[in-house]
Amino acid sequence: MQVETHNVLWLDSSQQVSVQELVDLSGLAEDELRELVFAGALTPRNYSELPWTFSGECVVTVRKASRLRDDLELDHHALALALGLLEQIRALEAQVANLRAQIPTFQSC
Amino acid sequence: MKYKDYYAILGVERTASDDQIKKAYRNLARKYHPDVSKDPNGEEKFKDAAEAYKTLKDAGKRAAYDRLGSHPPGEEFEPSQSWGDQFKTQFSDGQSSFDGVDLSDLFASFSRGRSGGGGRGASNNGFGMGGQPADPNRPIPGEDYDVTTLITLDEARGGTMVALNLSVPTYDAQGQMHRETRTLEARIPKGATEGQRLRLRGQGSKGHNGGRDGDVYLNVSLRPHPLYRVDGHNLYLDLPLAPWEAALGTTVVVPTLAGLVNLKVAAGTSGGQQLRLGKRGLPKPDGGEGDLFAVVKIVLPNALTEREKTLLQEIANTSTFNPRTELFKEANHAS
Repeated sequence: MQVETHNVLWLDSSQQVSVQELVDLSGLAEDELRELVFAGALTPRNYSELPWTFSGECVVTVRKASRLRDDLELDHHALALALGLLEQIRALEAQVANLRAQIPTFQSC
Repeated sequence: MKYKDYYAILGVERTASDDQIKKAYRNLARKYHPDVSKDPNGEEKFKDAAEAYKTLKDAGKRAAYDRLGSHPPGEEFEPSQSWGDQFKTQFSDGQSSFDGVDLSDLFASFSRGRSGGGGRGASNNGFGMGGQPADPNRPIPGEDYDVTTLITLDEARGGTMVALNLSVPTYDAQGQMHRETRTLEARIPKGATEGQRLRLRGQGSKGHNGGRDGDVYLNVSLRPHPLYRVDGHNLYLDLPLAPWEAALGTTVVVPTLAGLVNLKVAAGTSGGQQLRLGKRGLPKPDGGEGDLFAVVKIVLPNALTEREKTLLQEIANTSTFNPRTELFKEANHAS
């Protein structure tokens, strides 16, 4: 059986995505994206200029926003709050992982 | 097809009101939603709850589901011809059978029959919430897939290929949906680390009526390593030293992902101190490299020889060093 091989795209700061791409990839409306930006849940690279562009990581955020909106039936206020809290949890977990990595294990050799 | 008891999944009576069903679903969604839950089985539980809710929140689908009767969960059953005649799914055209169709596909097809609907991306624009028929020719995006892939540190360091098996929907000549397994390989370049997200554009299921093809999203996870702990692109390794090695200094051999290296330990090195080996961590996507940190761990022999005891006692008798000076200074300061 022939198996196709595909290259991947990084979803990180090396990638730039437009508002339209975020709309297409998430199913959120442009207005909803704007609300997330105004609520601080999504940060454009160039907040003071139009059109906005975003880092590739924002694709992950808007897809999560879309799932939470649909599955938990959240309005944009609740959505922004949920995304903010989830981001805080992610940052704290990263901090814990960083500290854990630095602590030597204490079982005897 | 296998019967699923949607009421039992949501934990409600068959006579539950719409509000009770919604409340039960929301409780389960808050608990098990994959974006929120840390429960390893949460995603499966959420999928079941979402499938149950999608059917029961819609009066038409709920009536159709109720008419299937009640069976023990997991029991094989097939809807009757009269059920198909009454509810007009694509499976009731007299040409298609229910073979290879599961309950969720059946009710998804029920939506499509009324809305022309498709995957997750389409659910909010069509029939999903309100029950109004939508334009059957509107573009329907293909389904996206989220896959977590586990790779080793060596694979992260050198890049690797991962095989993905996706259960994708396909449609036969009668328009009946079946699922088939599609296998593809993704080339993960070096530089990926724990939590890195990657996208395979257009490799999800096919879109309809000009809708875009779905994507595959990869979430990279690193397999735990017996020696190294990972933080981003940096690695941490315990470096056991004997007390006299830490006190007098030494050169030790340290294993790195790229092989063995000599590491000079300065005299007077303390436990917990981190000795940095630059660019011996994981490669970064931009071409740089993380570092490897050897975390010093002072280790004593399980049993000291008489000679060792004598020598250590001599140090104890001779040395004026007090490692607890700071401790008492702080204690006096506080009191």
